[in-house]
Amino acid sequence: MLKDITIGQYFPTGSPVHSLDPRAKIIITIFYIVVVFLCKSFASLGLCCAVLLIFILISRVPVKMFLKSIKAILPIILFTAFLNIFYIGGGKVLFTWKFISVSEKGLYTAAFMTVRIILLIISGSALTYTTTPTMLTDGMERLLSPLKVFHVPVHTLAMMMTLALRFIPTLIDEIERITNAQKARGADLESGNFVQRAKALVPVLVPLFISAFRRAYELAFAMECRCYRGGEGRTRMKQMKLKMPDYLSFAVVVLFTAGVILLNNIYPVL
Amino acid sequence: MKEIILETRELTHIYAKGTPYEKTAVNGMNIKIEKGELVGIIGHTGSGKSTLVQHFNGLLKPDGGQIFLDGHDMWENKADIRKVRFKVGVCFQYPEYQLFEETVYKDIAFGPKNMGLDKDEINRRVIEAMKYVGLDESYADKSAFDLSGGEKRRAAIAGVMAMSPEVLILDEPCAGLDPAGRDMLLSLIKNYRESTGSTVIFVSHNMDDIAKIATRVLVVNDGKEAMYGTVDEVFSRCDELKAMGLDVPAVTDLFMKLKMIYPQLDAGVYDINKAADILYSLLKGGAVRA
Repeated sequence: MLKDITIGQYFPTGSPVHSLDPRAKIIITIFYIVVVFLCKSFASLGLCCAVLLIFILISRVPVKMFLKSIKAILPIILFTAFLNIFYIGGGKVLFTWKFISVSEKGLYTAAFMTVRIILLIISGSALTYTTTPTMLTDGMERLLSPLKVFHVPVHTLAMMMTLALRFIPTLIDEIERITNAQKARGADLESGNFVQRAKALVPVLVPLFISAFRRAYELAFAMECRCYRGGEGRTRMKQMKLKMPDYLSFAVVVLFTAGVILLNNIYPVL
Repeated sequence: MKEIILETRELTHIYAKGTPYEKTAVNGMNIKIEKGELVGIIGHTGSGKSTLVQHFNGLLKPDGGQIFLDGHDMWENKADIRKVRFKVGVCFQYPEYQLFEETVYKDIAFGPKNMGLDKDEINRRVIEAMKYVGLDESYADKSAFDLSGGEKRRAAIAGVMAMSPEVLILDEPCAGLDPAGRDMLLSLIKNYRESTGSTVIFVSHNMDDIAKIATRVLVVNDGKEAMYGTVDEVFSRCDELKAMGLDVPAVTDLFMKLKMIYPQLDAGVYDINKAADILYSLLKGGAVRA
């Protein structure tokens, strides 16, 4: 169950997409999402799909991984599609049964929304699959750094996020280890009703909390020992610099946006 | 030949199958463990020892091959896998991190309670287990979190012993203990096996520990059984052990070096007393060069 968590997962393949500047990737992803919302016709939505597919092929991350992340939110997609089919009226009525009626427009909107949500999810996971959590938070810190003027503790927030992401796998490992140890003593975590199951978690949760606190203290000590004192005057080992591939991908995105706007006008609303 | 309690046939385990992180931890292993033995498993980090151990009590399911307990395929009936865990007790690395109850007594009673035993039997077993690990009754009502590191470790081991498993498995029981704690734990393990007659398997990468108490040694390398035999047999092949990047007991190492000067010596010596005898007779024989 825990192994199915794909949020924030990194999938190394060493592709050109992986080595893009994280800032560029964040901006492009946000831009892409905005453009997906600008789409007004299936033609422009089709272009969005095509661009994302090319991106996935270049990144060499298996398509299977993207399907996995869609699977996680499948109920939400189905629910949205369901609501749209039955609640949006207009156009030719295709089907009626008692008080339920399905119209042409409803069907189109449902399909449109479904594709849109799937594109959003895939573009989001494409970002995390191709960028390590550290790079991601570094990129965000740099992008948000203008907020420092307004006394927003950007560095602290980024550091907290880095640490939180960094410790997700560690905690998952820890849970697995403790669960194994208690299972070895005959703990039954899989059967029983809700209350019994909740009670059965105590032998896992108590050691987990203790070790989480222990880790937090140890980490704080280790950081202090290396003279960590927040973001002020802190320099970076890896300086981020936009390079040719980054500018090139910006150019592609601009072309893509122009394409979407063009298609919106050529093949207007459904 | 003695009865075989645990057997693996072509046991294979692959982690994260189908991802770039895929790793074969155990690769077609065939071993037979006889009843009543004290088997030491050695191998360097990442050799697959811990993965192997998790197969012994059905925590991991083999990706290939079979594993037999008392002649029955463990995974033949999936619903019975919990019973396997009562027969094969595993105590993992740093077991002190799994303590959770308010008192030492309650924590040790967790296993027997899960077995569904009655109160008197649980009480008997807890007290017995505490005796095995050398914690007297004054510890029973203490909080597990007030104990010293070594005491916590022993309390956690008692938690597994209290289930009276037919096979007791300890994964690196001595890791992080000081020499006194280490010696104490080793003799506790030895006594436990002698007084209960159960099979004990312990994983370690300290050769001296294994030489001290084991009756048989299994050397694991690259997910395969590299050697399996009595302590004498395994430590007489110390050249091969060294080639695998493993240590040999300090005494054996000394004798290997001495053998270069005195070819008549037997290099497979791992017992310090035996070593002293051999050296004594060597000196008496006047074979020492000036």
